[in-house]
Amino acid sequence: MQPSESWRYEDPLDVLRRFIPTPLRARYRIESVGVTVETNDFGLLPALPLQQPDLHPREESMVDWKLIRDHDSHGMLESPRFLTAGSLTIVEMGTACLLGMDRERRELLGFIGAGVDARTYREFLVPFLCEMTVQGFSTDQSFLSFSSGREFGDD
Amino acid sequence: MINIVTTKFAFDRTTLPFRTDFSAAGTTWILSTNSLEVLRTVADWRVPRKQIPNKTLEMEIVVDGAPDNSRERKAHFRGVRHLVFAFISPRSFVAYDLARRRVHAVLSTTAAGDACFWKTLLIPITIGILGTTVGVVPLHCACLERNGRGLLVAGVSGAGKSTLAAAMALLGFRIISDDWTYVSKGETDLVAHGLLAPVKLLPDTVRFFSELRNFTPSTALNGELAYQIDPQSLGCEVGETSSPRAIFFLDRCSTGGCHLLPCPSEQVRTYFENSAERLPEEIPQAKAFRTEVIRTLAARPAWIVRSDASPQETARVIEDFLLEGDYATV
Repeated sequence: MQPSESWRYEDPLDVLRRFIPTPLRARYRIESVGVTVETNDFGLLPALPLQQPDLHPREESMVDWKLIRDHDSHGMLESPRFLTAGSLTIVEMGTACLLGMDRERRELLGFIGAGVDARTYREFLVPFLCEMTVQGFSTDQSFLSFSSGREFGDD
Repeated sequence: MINIVTTKFAFDRTTLPFRTDFSAAGTTWILSTNSLEVLRTVADWRVPRKQIPNKTLEMEIVVDGAPDNSRERKAHFRGVRHLVFAFISPRSFVAYDLARRRVHAVLSTTAAGDACFWKTLLIPITIGILGTTVGVVPLHCACLERNGRGLLVAGVSGAGKSTLAAAMALLGFRIISDDWTYVSKGETDLVAHGLLAPVKLLPDTVRFFSELRNFTPSTALNGELAYQIDPQSLGCEVGETSSPRAIFFLDRCSTGGCHLLPCPSEQVRTYFENSAERLPEEIPQAKAFRTEVIRTLAARPAWIVRSDASPQETARVIEDFLLEGDYATV
């Protein structure tokens, strides 16, 4: 009798969605910081000044953004909660936006839910990500001081 | 327009003045918190143990007493590179840093003081996510023991391994773990750890276990309605660790009765590699460690249990097989 195949898994699990391919890449400049954005969604490539191809920024001034459009998360943005621990800053805005900024590894990683529309992304999240990047990777490592008067929504 | 109110939590020695350590499934946890309630809740897990640097994880917990700061929501997990984010009910958010073996959590007051939350959710989830970075490999299988010999019972979700594990426990096997077993390398052999978590049985298993009529099903983490039973309440013997000597893969199929077939080691390896969460490139040592543990396990005797018999009958076939001593010679 030959063993059947039904007792085993065919592929490794990716319950955490870690391995969603992010084939889209672009390079930008945000003030003095060079940013490489890697994503799975054209809509998440921000309308920011592109890094000039003839410029070769020093590695220590580069930051990686990895932004994953989370098609399984349909909630709306909620008020941000910041968790800061050493070189790590986590921001959660509900399941619609989960961000982790690691200053030591020079990375800003996150999931943007399907419920975040283009306008909210452009007018709220991109400035928010830029502010995090500039503050996080400038010489001033003090506690992030995002203003509480910022607005977002679907007016 | 929505006016945003941000909430900020800083995790440092000033904001988290209370410290303790405790052990779970072969790992040591150094815990810092702002809450005495958390210290009281983990007191049951406190076992004085020498801290081994590469088996130690750091957990920092802020208990947020503000009731409206977080909405209740279903469990939600996402990971990117070395970071994992988790919303866990009730009203708690946890961030895992696999590169630094650290956990930062904002817990609701309810979660902080709920021993069941710690035992069935926070600790198993944390070891599930961070375990490989601290020398403990979470494997999707149950673990039972008879005469000092550990047996892993594996199978795809829904195959009925929890039901079989419960039937074996009622037959006299000592139960170490149900759905997930945490395997570390001991001084001379692999060690399988359990967390004494409840056994999860689906509502239809009541037809096999009349004892369940005294219990009420509840919603599990994955949203399933299930009986979540402390095996001791069914009179079963429970253990914390065992040394895994053999592996059984449950394959429910309509072949009539229950048959045991030798399982090639390559298939054992593939099953465990594929039934565990893929690990990111950022933690190469953890990946290598898991591969090594699985390779060691795959060298153990293993069988596929093809059965459409009742769990009790299947358990008896396995027991008879073990008593005959066949597995020692295969």
